[in-house]
Formats: sequence, structure tokens, C-alpha cells
Amino acid sequence: MISRYTAEIGTATLTAGLGLAAVVGALEFGIGWGDAGPEPGAFPFYIGLLVVAASIGTLIQATVGRHGLQSVFLHKDEAKRVASFFVPMLAFVVVARFLGLYVATALYLTFVMWVQGKYRLVIALASGIAGAVIFYLVLEVAFQVPLLKGPLEAALGLY
Amino acid sequence: MENFASLLHGFGVALTTYHVLLMMVGVLLGILVGVLPGLGAPNGVSLLLPLTFTMDPVAAIILLTSMYWGALFGGSTTSILFNIPGEPSSVATTFDGYPMARQGQATRALTLAFLSAGFGALVGVLLITVLSTWVAKFALRFSSPEYFAVYFLAFASFVGLGAASPFKTIVSMGLGFAFAAVGMDTVSGGLRLTYGFSELLSGISFLIAVIGLFGLGELMLTMEEGLRFDGIRARVKVRDVFTTIATLPRYWVTLLRSSAIGCWMGIIPGGPTAASFMSYGLAKRLSRRKDGFGHGEPEGVVAPETADHAAGSSAILPMLALGVPGSATAAVMMGGLMIWGLNPGPMLFIERPDFVWGLIASMYLGNIVAVLMVLATIPLFASILRIPFAIIGPVIVVVCFIGAYTVAGRPFDLWLALAFGVVGYLFKKLDYPIAPLVLAMVLGDKAEDAFRQSMIMSRGSLSIFWSNGLVTTLMLIAIALALAPLLSTVFGRLVKPKASSAVA
Repeated sequence: MISRYTAEIGTATLTAGLGLAAVVGALEFGIGWGDAGPEPGAFPFYIGLLVVAASIGTLIQATVGRHGLQSVFLHKDEAKRVASFFVPMLAFVVVARFLGLYVATALYLTFVMWVQGKYRLVIALASGIAGAVIFYLVLEVAFQVPLLKGPLEAALGLY
Repeated sequence: MENFASLLHGFGVALTTYHVLLMMVGVLLGILVGVLPGLGAPNGVSLLLPLTFTMDPVAAIILLTSMYWGALFGGSTTSILFNIPGEPSSVATTFDGYPMARQGQATRALTLAFLSAGFGALVGVLLITVLSTWVAKFALRFSSPEYFAVYFLAFASFVGLGAASPFKTIVSMGLGFAFAAVGMDTVSGGLRLTYGFSELLSGISFLIAVIGLFGLGELMLTMEEGLRFDGIRARVKVRDVFTTIATLPRYWVTLLRSSAIGCWMGIIPGGPTAASFMSYGLAKRLSRRKDGFGHGEPEGVVAPETADHAAGSSAILPMLALGVPGSATAAVMMGGLMIWGLNPGPMLFIERPDFVWGLIASMYLGNIVAVLMVLATIPLFASILRIPFAIIGPVIVVVCFIGAYTVAGRPFDLWLALAFGVVGYLFKKLDYPIAPLVLAMVLGDKAEDAFRQSMIMSRGSLSIFWSNGLVTTLMLIAIALALAPLLSTVFGRLVKPKASSAVA
């Protein structure tokens, strides 16, 4: 059970970190005045500083209003539901990288329908494959947009 | 007026069978996108954009704007039938729309919503017709400092007029600029902020950000609530539609006032969401039936819908004439224009008048087509939401990822979309506004170029931003807006030093 206060602090720290990354990355290119105007690093540097400053502002706001922020940010069962949604998405991206988007689509849809939708494996599998085929027809044939493919498509001779 | 001659010519460009078919397809897709969670107007437009690369720009923008209207209508539908706002700008519609539906007046609520929306949108388009060449001529006097001042004004208005904490708005905006700066610098050719990742060479596309933030993030949020769509059955009875149309003129004051609010908020740019809330609040305060508001008062549906759509249409005006988008969706469309090689701004009116007036003409047609189609197909779309989320959710996820891949054909974008999804989820839960982030990503390069050129022109002195009346006025308004939250907190404390004021 995460409180809103913790979440605010965590996110503000994250944004401050991103701002800092912008500042550090900008230093590499110089932040002053070059021979033809401001150096490339100037704009990202000040933007980064702005983000860090505003993040610190949020941190201070959260700390000062600490008592009002004790409400629950994420309940345990909510977190479980989100995780059960997020982890398959993550797996989808990993699988897509290696096996192509179509195979990943089929596997993802099958898995989610079977495990979370509680449909029978046969139905889930059929839907997953049907989904992948539909996407193939719409995108590759109708719109001529190529998608990431993997070893299965190579074996079938589809490019 | 020369504008109307151009408009008639535009109708000639827009009124082809192909274009009208595209309008119908666009509206249908838009309603679908507006009705489903996780797909909204900005996301839907982003998903369609890569598919339009092979189309000619007029046809492509007609498709996208039709989809935009459709999405707005779809968002109103779920607000009324399911108490779930499909778009942030439809939140105000739930206040009276859902109670009306619960009292068995679903058809009436829907019809009122669609007709007022159509009215508001048409007023917005009318405004564009009348004002656009004037604004474009005015904008021709703009040089780099003025452009930077206008961008600054746009972002300051988010800080000043937005409901979120100013710090969070600034963080969101700053991150958008930082993401826009990643990749090759147009002036020096250096690779900025890539930290050695070769995948970041071409930068981070705003389309990926929108798909992740608005799409995946929204879905994760929906998942958290374990959403079930217990909606009200909607059967559009044709007779009710006509009787409701007859009652619409009764609300003429509300219609006109809300359109005015919407147009104003669309141009400045405050956004359709702010417009709908402002209009609802004002209608409630000024109405003779104020106690009915919140319990199914028809005026409570007319007011926000009119303002919402008027703002949505008029946001296109600053986007076209100045190159400053007034909403997240306008920002995405502007990004699309830039990808097609069209530069929004006054030069667009001079170089490509056929495109501009074809677009404006199509907005009239598109709205009429949209209202007709949405009235006819609502029961169909409402029943789509009965499909269990276990099927719809993953399909939407797949659509989002495929959409992300089609932008540039880079597998790395899938990871980026996922990352933006997590960020979008966090930001939405913690009330960080996302529209400034998208706007900053679209405008980032242009704003930076404007700033650098101004600096070069003034040899490093900031005084160039006060050098003439126009730019000084813009900067003053911008600074006033940006400091407004701070000033109001300070005055609040000074006036009532003893009252404990929760920091906004």
C-alpha cells in the first residue's frame, strides 16, 4: 500500500533526475555563447535547470502538505491488477523484438484471453491467431505498412 | 470578402466523393476511438498519422479532422451512457448527462449533446473562416522574437489557466522540451542528450509519446479500477430526436454564450477542457434553473458540449495561422502537417491556399456528416462497450504498439512507448498535466530555433523581447499568466493571514 505522499516524492525525484540528465548532457556541448550565437547546449541546460527547480518545488509542496497526502495511492489489489496488465505488455515487447510483432500479437492475445479472460485455451488460441492474421491483412496488404517480423515469417517467406 | 470566395473554392476542393467517403470513415473511426478507453482523440490521430503518409495532404487532413470530430462525439456518448468521460473535455458532460440518461432520457441527452456540439463546432469554423486571413496577415509581421513570445504565451497560459499545480505544469512542459532536444541539433549538427545510445539519433517522436502517455497510460489506469461497463441501454428513438431538435432553440442564450467561451478558450489557447468547465460553471450561475444542475438539467449538457466543440474547432485557427496549437490534438495534427512538409503559419495561407481553404471547407462538411452519422450509429457503438475488457484491452494494447512501430519502423520505439505508458500512468494519477508535455515536444524545436535566432539578432541580449510594442505586449501577457497562480496564492495569504490555506 503506497501512500500518495510517497508517490509524489518518488515521481518528483524521478523528474528531477531527468532534468539533471538534461543538464549534464547539455554541458557536453557548451552552454555559453559560441561564435555564432548560443551554443547547442544552452537551451537544454536551462530547460533542465527549470525542470529540476520545478521538481524541487513539487517536493517542497509535498513535504509541506504532508498530512493531506496520506491518502492511499495504490491499494494492494489495485497494484496486482495493474501489474497483471503491465507484465504481459512487457513480455509482448520482449517477444516482439525476437519473434516479430505478429507472433507476439498472437501469443499475447492468447495468453491474456486464456489467463485473465478465463476462456478455454482453444478459443483463446484461435482468437489470438485470428487477430494476428487480421492485423496482417489490414496493415501489410491494405495499407502497405511493413511491420517487425521474426524467424517465423522468414521461414514462411513473408517479407 | 475575399475569404468567402476562397471558402467557396475550398468547397470545390473538399467536395469530392473520395473526400466525403473519407469523412465518413474518419468519423466512424473517431467515434470508435472516442468510445473505447485508452484511445482518445490525440492517440487516435497519432495512430492514423503514419498510415496517411502515402495520401495527399488534403485527403489526409480531412481524414484526421473527421476522426477528431468523431472522437469528441464518442467521448460525449460514454459520458452520458456510462458516466465515463471518453475525453477529458467530456467530464463536464457527465454532470447532467448521466443523470438524464438514468431518468430514461438517454436519447434526449445524446441528441442535445450532439446538436449543441455541432452548433459549437460550426461557430468555431465560422470564426476561422472570418478571422484566419486577418490573423495570417497579422502574423506576417512576426519575426523570431514574436514567435518565441507567442510560444511562451501558449505555455504560460497552461500554467496560469490550467487546473494543475504550476510546478507540475512546468515540469511537464520542461520534460517535453528536453525530449524534443534529444537527437541531432539542426543548427550545429551535434548529437544532444543521446548518452551514446545510437537508437536516440533521430530523437524521440512526439507520436510515440502520445501513444504511450494517452494510450497505454490510460489503459493501465482503467485496469487499476477493474473497469466494468455497466451502461445504460441506448436505443435512439427517431421521434425523440426530432422533438429534441425542436426544443433546442429554447437554449439559444446558452448556445451563443458557450460558443463564445469556447472560441475564446480555443484561441488563447486554454483548451477544450477548460472551456467546457468554464461554460458549465457560468451556465449554472446564470441560469434560472440552477438547482436542477447536476440532476439532469438539459442546459447542463448543452453548455459544456457547445463550448467543448467550439474550442476544439477554434484551436485549429492558431495552429494554422500562427503555428501555435491550442490543444494536444491540434499539436498532433500540426506535427502531421510538418511531417507532410507543410509549415503551419502565415506562409501556409500564401503558398498553399488550396490546402488551407479545402481544410476549412471540409470542417463544415465534416461536422454535418459527423452529427448525422453519430445519431445513426450510437446504439452500435454503445454495444461495443459490452465486449469484456479482457478482450478489448489487449486488442487496444496491440493497436497502440503496432501504431508506435509504424511511426519510424524502429523496434526501440516499442520500449519508448512502454516507458511513456508508465510515465503517463504516474502522471495521470498524480495530476501532472500531459498536454503541455505533448505541446512542448511538438513545438520544442521551433521554440528553440526562435529563441536562438532572437539571441543571434540581439547579440545575446534579452532586451530584444521588449524591443517593439507587439512583442512586449505578448511577453507581458505571458508573464502575467505565468505568475497568476503565484500572485493569487500570495494575495490569498495577505488578505486572510489567519486562515490556513492549502497550497494549490
